[in-house]
Amino acid sequence: MSLHFADYLIILVYFIFVIGVGFLIKRKIKSSNDFLTSSRSIPLWITSLAFISANLGAQEVIGMVASGAKYGIMTVHFYWVGAIFAMVFLGVFMMPFYYGSRARSVPEYLSLRFDEKTRGLNAISFAVMTVFSSGISLYALAKLMETILHWDFDISIWVSAGIVMVYTFLGGLTSAVYNEVLQFFLIVLGLSPLVIIALQDAGGWNNIKALLQPEMTHAWKYMGNANDNPMGLHFMSLIFGLGFVMSFGYWCTDFLVVQRAMIARNMGDAQRTPIIAAIPKMMMPLIVVLPGIIAITLMQPALASKGYHIPTTASGELDYTMTLPSLIAHYYPTGILGVGITALIASFMSGMAGNVTAFNSVFTFDIYQSYFVKNKSDRHYLLVGKGVTVVGILISIVTAYIAKSFNNINDFLQLVFGFVNGPLFATFLLGMFWKRTTGHGAFWGLIAGTAAAAITHGVTIAEGKGGWIAPLYTIKSGMGQAFIVAAVSWIFNFFTTIIVSLVTKPKPDEQLKGLVYSLTEKPKYHEQKWYLRVVPLGLLLLVITILLNFIFF
Amino acid sequence: MLKKLNDLQFVIGLFFTVVSLILLLNVLLASNGSSNLNVYTGACFLVFGLSMIFIKGKASRQ
Repeated sequence: MSLHFADYLIILVYFIFVIGVGFLIKRKIKSSNDFLTSSRSIPLWITSLAFISANLGAQEVIGMVASGAKYGIMTVHFYWVGAIFAMVFLGVFMMPFYYGSRARSVPEYLSLRFDEKTRGLNAISFAVMTVFSSGISLYALAKLMETILHWDFDISIWVSAGIVMVYTFLGGLTSAVYNEVLQFFLIVLGLSPLVIIALQDAGGWNNIKALLQPEMTHAWKYMGNANDNPMGLHFMSLIFGLGFVMSFGYWCTDFLVVQRAMIARNMGDAQRTPIIAAIPKMMMPLIVVLPGIIAITLMQPALASKGYHIPTTASGELDYTMTLPSLIAHYYPTGILGVGITALIASFMSGMAGNVTAFNSVFTFDIYQSYFVKNKSDRHYLLVGKGVTVVGILISIVTAYIAKSFNNINDFLQLVFGFVNGPLFATFLLGMFWKRTTGHGAFWGLIAGTAAAAITHGVTIAEGKGGWIAPLYTIKSGMGQAFIVAAVSWIFNFFTTIIVSLVTKPKPDEQLKGLVYSLTEKPKYHEQKWYLRVVPLGLLLLVITILLNFIFF
Repeated sequence: MLKKLNDLQFVIGLFFTVVSLILLLNVLLASNGSSNLNVYTGACFLVFGLSMIFIKGKASRQ
């Protein structure tokens, strides 16, 4: 693939706009709250699109297309099982606690609900996870540029990271959020023509179903037996591992996405943010799963005349990570090729900036201000926040080089989420809905859950990964292993938290008002029109999601 | 103009308008005759970009 003047011009225009947004926002940054929390001033449509865009990083776009090619339509489970239900739950049940408590971050909520040690544990593990994710986004982009454009890997990393650093350093969270919205439109509109033209080339959905193995085009039908489907998963593992533990663990507790709802202007908008975001999320498989399925269809003998193939690795295996770039190279001519490449770059920047801004908020408020330097001026924390932005990006660069040793970036990320997010949702579920839960219970539950995740990974092996203690149990796919790790960690956390809470002293009810469901005044939805109320909206989305699962059963 | 640039809806509209013009100019100026894909995409981006600029919804007035 080679770019021409028009392609480079589009990439350049994009860089000018994202950096320009940083400069425009810079004038509004007066305090640490402006820089790190946007002072809760962002309109609903922006928070909603930023909410979904923060999750639309390189691992989402490239990784899900790769999974679409590898696992077929089962990849939609990440959306129709592993996202919508949790997003609705977050909006209806959990945002009132996050937003109403006035916490600036998820770890700060934990300090209000439990204690400082629980906050510290969560803040540190989250910080580690965000720089991992940021580094993986960076690695994905650099590898992409090296492979398809023959740009130098190291230069790609440093230049790309430098651009993200400029606009996040200048405008902080607001700049990142504004750019995420621009990136959302660019990714969706930039990749839509590819889906349309490639689908047409593959002969439409009916022809895809005719050419592929049935388990590649049925989401549920072959999940009764783990050996019958490409993911190697039983439907119960999927529902509990992905649909409950990982999904709720990510969407309801990961500060990276929750932060986008926490910067809304009022409680109503904060609750509506994940629910409005669920609408485009529901449609996202059209952009990021369908291309993968189309790609594997185009490689069938009947369509050999189309001349498309997924690139192979040095060992001769299909390099699924290159599915989307190879589709772009195959179908996009000069001009729109620049749009496609820019959309890929945008997906990387979206993911990386989201991680960096979440990282600097948590580090500044929950680690630096809480444990190291208290009671300094606001300007001091503003400067620290800006400094942490630079440090976070430098750590991401180091992480990107570490990530080079992993094959499927999506599997790797799911594994990281399993270690950190899997157990976390049990802590929040008990903390928000059982007032007897104590700080000691939450802390030791998290420790037990994370340890259980590590041990489970150590005794299971999938695609050559894991089994570092003893490879006692073989799992067909890395994704299946990640679900099992998450499920085990959740169960250990849940029961450990309950047991320790029952033998330790809980906080008095007065200290838990606004933090626990039974002690919090419920929002009055009936005063609003039905389409502004989160419950009817959420129920409508759930019905549509269930219908989609049936349609593609 | 600077005030408008603070409006994200305007910025997004401006970006897609500029990109659409690049795509359409590329078609007009290319000696080898560019793909129809550029024309259709450029036209769609132009409509989207101008809509974002000129349709002032409730969201942008907030």
